[in-house]
Amino acid sequence: MSNTESLQHYNGLSVGDKLPEVIQAIDQTMIDAYADASGDINPLHIDPEFAKTTFFGRTIAHGLLTLAFVSRVLSKWNWNGWAYGGELNVAFLGPVYPGDTVRVSGEIEALEQRDDGVYARCQLVCHCADKAVVKGHAICKI
Amino acid sequence: MNDYVKYGSMNEGDNFLDPPPAFDVTENVVNKYIASTNDSTLELTGLNATGKRIAPPMLAAVYVIDALRTRVGPPGGIHAKQQFKFHRPAVIGETLFTSAVVLKMYERKGRNYVEMTTETKNQHGELITSGMITRIWGKES
Repeated sequence: MSNTESLQHYNGLSVGDKLPEVIQAIDQTMIDAYADASGDINPLHIDPEFAKTTFFGRTIAHGLLTLAFVSRVLSKWNWNGWAYGGELNVAFLGPVYPGDTVRVSGEIEALEQRDDGVYARCQLVCHCADKAVVKGHAICKI
Repeated sequence: MNDYVKYGSMNEGDNFLDPPPAFDVTENVVNKYIASTNDSTLELTGLNATGKRIAPPMLAAVYVIDALRTRVGPPGGIHAKQQFKFHRPAVIGETLFTSAVVLKMYERKGRNYVEMTTETKNQHGELITSGMITRIWGKES
């Protein structure tokens, strides 16, 4: 059976601490480059004429491109904890359009002592202006 | 064209990808991913303890989706939720195999949802990434 204990502070980190923000402007060139890199060439992302016929009315960025910015935040904050055992759980709430700027922010919402070390649970949200487009949390060993 | 996977053809517990498709982690794949996501993470510029260059953890978004794209649903599907657990980063030179199992199927507000668990292992069977994807299945014509 595993034991966990909630902490308020650990090793210079505290519940409520903010993670470093990433702010990334999105344009069609970036979306096209991600389509090429990922092989996801869904016309909704890269064909403006096709995208006009869809619910969105214009092209949208791949949701997983937005997650790449989330990963940049966590890599910068805690590379080892993120890359070796990190967990991510997010919901996609809305589209990101070319011309939008994505702001990824995060905050430590819990510190937990487990059998094999201390883990931080971080709340994450990606905004375009005031609208949340991705929301969720990550858990990493610290 | 109508060769997409029909919602009614799936069942909970099905192996969705059988056999699991292969994905080669190459220098080109990693470089293009890093450039397209504007990732300047320092650890991605060097080599790991075994002298191999590591890929960004979120390259999982490429190799998992690449595998799932071998069996697509009808157009109009939406990626609703994503979970990943990164056991360790993939390294250049590895070949990855992603398997997927249909975990849950349900209808909500007139839309069909599918939850699948995924597991990616390298050519030696080492676990690289596990996860869960929730997709809203596109409407079938």
